[in-house]
Amino acid sequence: MADGAAPPVLIRGTPRSRQAHLSGDLLLMAESAALYALPGAQAAALRAAMERGEAAVTARLAALGLTAAAAPALSDDLADDLSDAAPGPVRALALTVAQGCNMACGYCYAAGGAFGGAVRQMPPEVARAAIDRLIEAAPPGGAVQIAFMGGEPWMAKGLIRDAVIHARRRAAARAVRTGFSMTTNATLLRAEDAAFLAEHRFAVTVSLDGDRAANDRLRPMAGGGGSFDRVAARLGPLLEQADRLRLSARVTVTPDNLDIPRTVAALSALGFDTIGVSPMLASPTGKGALGAADFPRLLEAMIAAGEDWLEAIIAGRPHGFANLATALGELHRGQPRSVSCGAVRDYLAVDAEGNYAACHRFVNDPLGAMGDLSGGPDAAARAAFLAERRVEAQPGCAGCWARRLCGGGCHHEVLHAGRPACDYVRGWLDYAISAYGRLMAARPDWFGDA
Amino acid sequence: MTDTPDRLVRPLNRAARPPAPDSPAYPEPVLGNSAATLMDSGVGNCFPGLEFDLRQLDVRFFPGLVFAFPGVTPAGPDGTQGAQLVYADTTGDPDFDLPYDWVGELARSLGGPAGDALAEGQWYLHAVEQKDRRIELYDRVVLQNAIHLIPYEGEIAWWIIRLIERDPDPALADLVIELTRRDANGQPAGQPVRLRGKRRAYLDGEGMISQVYRPGELTASMCSPWTHDFRDCACQYWASNHPDVVLGEVIDPNDRGRAQAGQADPAEEDDPLQPVSFLDWMRRRTDPARDVQAQTTIDGARPYRYDPYEINLVWQELDFVLQGQEANATPAPDLPEPPDAPPTAQEVHADLRDNLGPLEYILALRYLYATFSIRAPEEIDAATEAAWPGLSDDLRAARQILLSVAISEMTHLRWVNQMLWSLSAALPAELPAYRPVVGPGLPAPDPDPEHALRLDRATPEVIAEFVALERPGGDIDTEYAELVAHLRDNPAYPPGLFQLAVRIDADGLAHYNKFRDIERILAPYAARPGIYLRDLAEAAADDPAAAPALALLREALAALREGARAEAAAARSNADRALAEARIIAARDRMHELWEAGEALARRGKGIPFFAPLPETAHG
Repeated sequence: MADGAAPPVLIRGTPRSRQAHLSGDLLLMAESAALYALPGAQAAALRAAMERGEAAVTARLAALGLTAAAAPALSDDLADDLSDAAPGPVRALALTVAQGCNMACGYCYAAGGAFGGAVRQMPPEVARAAIDRLIEAAPPGGAVQIAFMGGEPWMAKGLIRDAVIHARRRAAARAVRTGFSMTTNATLLRAEDAAFLAEHRFAVTVSLDGDRAANDRLRPMAGGGGSFDRVAARLGPLLEQADRLRLSARVTVTPDNLDIPRTVAALSALGFDTIGVSPMLASPTGKGALGAADFPRLLEAMIAAGEDWLEAIIAGRPHGFANLATALGELHRGQPRSVSCGAVRDYLAVDAEGNYAACHRFVNDPLGAMGDLSGGPDAAARAAFLAERRVEAQPGCAGCWARRLCGGGCHHEVLHAGRPACDYVRGWLDYAISAYGRLMAARPDWFGDA
Repeated sequence: MTDTPDRLVRPLNRAARPPAPDSPAYPEPVLGNSAATLMDSGVGNCFPGLEFDLRQLDVRFFPGLVFAFPGVTPAGPDGTQGAQLVYADTTGDPDFDLPYDWVGELARSLGGPAGDALAEGQWYLHAVEQKDRRIELYDRVVLQNAIHLIPYEGEIAWWIIRLIERDPDPALADLVIELTRRDANGQPAGQPVRLRGKRRAYLDGEGMISQVYRPGELTASMCSPWTHDFRDCACQYWASNHPDVVLGEVIDPNDRGRAQAGQADPAEEDDPLQPVSFLDWMRRRTDPARDVQAQTTIDGARPYRYDPYEINLVWQELDFVLQGQEANATPAPDLPEPPDAPPTAQEVHADLRDNLGPLEYILALRYLYATFSIRAPEEIDAATEAAWPGLSDDLRAARQILLSVAISEMTHLRWVNQMLWSLSAALPAELPAYRPVVGPGLPAPDPDPEHALRLDRATPEVIAEFVALERPGGDIDTEYAELVAHLRDNPAYPPGLFQLAVRIDADGLAHYNKFRDIERILAPYAARPGIYLRDLAEAAADDPAAAPALALLREALAALREGARAEAAAARSNADRALAEARIIAARDRMHELWEAGEALARRGKGIPFFAPLPETAHG
């Protein structure tokens, strides 16, 4: 840190001003997401102003030639405008092809894959109809993304093949590009499946929660027994096709696998070069979710993994920890967000009955119901959801400097568990801003346009 | 917020920087290549890739760099030829999104010292290295006891770049290139920049051209792609949109466009032979032989055509080609007058039954009569053959060609009947039931010339009349062309109708060319047609000598009618076709006999009066 001493992890990133945030000598303008490097004395003066209040901060920023753009007024008119405006066409669709799973992870948002309902598979005609609607709405020359989700999607292997072929044929007729992705536990994957995924340039995300000990504790098979060896044995064909598909690992972090650097190292050793972790904030059973006491440890572990990544990248070595790479890319782009993700705006999920949901997590969830295949995505529901969920409409976020970076958090988590992890999120973003400054100084070329 | 005093704050991320002025935002980006630049869009060319300039692909052969391939500039400066670096820039280059070590290494190199060096002065590709081989883009010459490096010109530099292979392993960076600057004498000078990378893949897995190429970039160098830019390609390749041979312009007396444009030449209009011949589109318009048939070999054609380089000088002389035919005049806008109302099915049916069917019948017999009027080769005695060498061959050819056209008209008559029975079957409520059309139709008080029931010997004048009758753009051709257009625009007609009309219409051009051939074959005898013509006169209708022939004709026509009826029934019901086949075979046999009888009569100077009222009953 520029001021010599890292602040204690627990209070890292504590909000002091709704207009701006300082991470060391780096200044983040809260509303515009613009980042500036300040001389030490100016940073100190701004820090002092933050202790005195918003007016002092405004004056200090003005002296630097910066004016905090006013947050758009939260008027009823604006909200009305937003809910009236029809959202654009959906560009990405998650097909919940198999609402069932051959595993039994305690924390699963889909509660064993069936989303609290009966185990069932999506009928092919539902998949085709959903794909047809997606492609019809895409402008010629545009692109759509189709994600196969579950449950465990490979339980519906035939359906996936059918859907991919169908999508490519339909898309080709309209000159629409298709991208495919899948999140899988990989336990059912065979060599010919890997070849199929490679042929269609899938982005494959394999769920694994750590090394054998950690993974098997968290991710048992439905019949009991560990899954790690099984997955490791299935990975070979996928890795062989690594040049033709984008392969990454996804780790769900619970109190039982908080050693993130160790997890990243274990999965790198398996052959993954991209590893993303996501903390478990809300599980249907309450099982496996992180509690308030766990977040300081989580942040510590994330920063440790981030430091590993930064050291490797500065030295010119690859490193798999994707969270920091993503965060730095986003910081560099500096696009202020209104929502945390593209759900509802660009992205919807479809379940086996042909109902649209706000995203794959909202399947069978009335809070995220977005119409069905017979009538197409419900434009009014989408507009209302987006107007209601955007960060400008969240009173609790108005005073937070990180609001335009985090976008208010995952809709599903916020609606079901509130925002228990804001300190952690701010701490992580504060760390990411400091890492941005360090990487920008050491390796500006990493950002591509420096 | 953008006017930040420099010394106080330093903008870091994109949000903190002023927006780039030259990056307009498009609400809906247009992705991918236009269909015209897809490799597989060139199906008409059987030589895909010539829809654009292949060399333009190689200006970006190395990720992050853009080259140009200038040749020697005659006016100087010297030493600027070769593969010239235009700029080095990794932004927008999708290769730099690839997750391979060499990509990162190259990006760092171009973002670091190498990029800094390349930003100053004019750089050239100096050498390429792949698989332990190295090619320098210079020729070594000894000049005044010193070794001098002469840069290859751009074309050769490009050939060398074309030789670079792309290893299928995307992670393998197997290409090293070296760039240098040049001194005032064109000699490489200073510290070279070495870059390791990989030849770019121009197509992605779906066959799309890489996004790195900007719109228009691949065709930027093609000033006139339809003329001579293709001449350097293999085996005299021409793009499909470039005609080799064309039909000369039809001088149509009815072409009001020409007349209006003051381009009509009355002398030409009197000459029905002038209109059409396959001509070399590239022929020199100043050459006396400009209107002769196109030569069949490149060597033969070469002296009479413009060299490709000349095209840019005389391009105004090259005609527009519409449907294979040159068009010199600007057509008057109202020229192809659309019919006031499209014909109804009833009108189409009536036209086939009362006009086109009888016409085919009349023409078949007129041509057959003309065939009988030409002497058989075996009738030529040795003295005549000695005086006119080749006469018997010419007679054989002329008779065969004439007969083939007559038979072709009989085929058309059958097709017209097929169209009639298809129509009647498809629209039973609106159209009369099918009745075969095998005859000259009802006598009209004032028949148009085509329907005139005349039988003439194949004199030069009559052959010229046949040529005029069948010529493209003539009355018969126009009638079928209108029918074709109508059937094409109205898909509700039974399938097959359109195809039949197209086939008849297309045959018109063949007939036209055949008559032109006959004309050419018989031209040497034009001044003394008696040499090739029989002394033939149409027999009187009641001439007993002609009665057997007319009886054969009547039987043949009766068998044809029965056959057509049976075929129409078989087509409707899918019933046994044996009856139809038997009747058609019988008709054919009668016609063979008719041919023999006609020849025998003709040797005796009598022509069959084909259009005489046929005897109602022959042998009872």
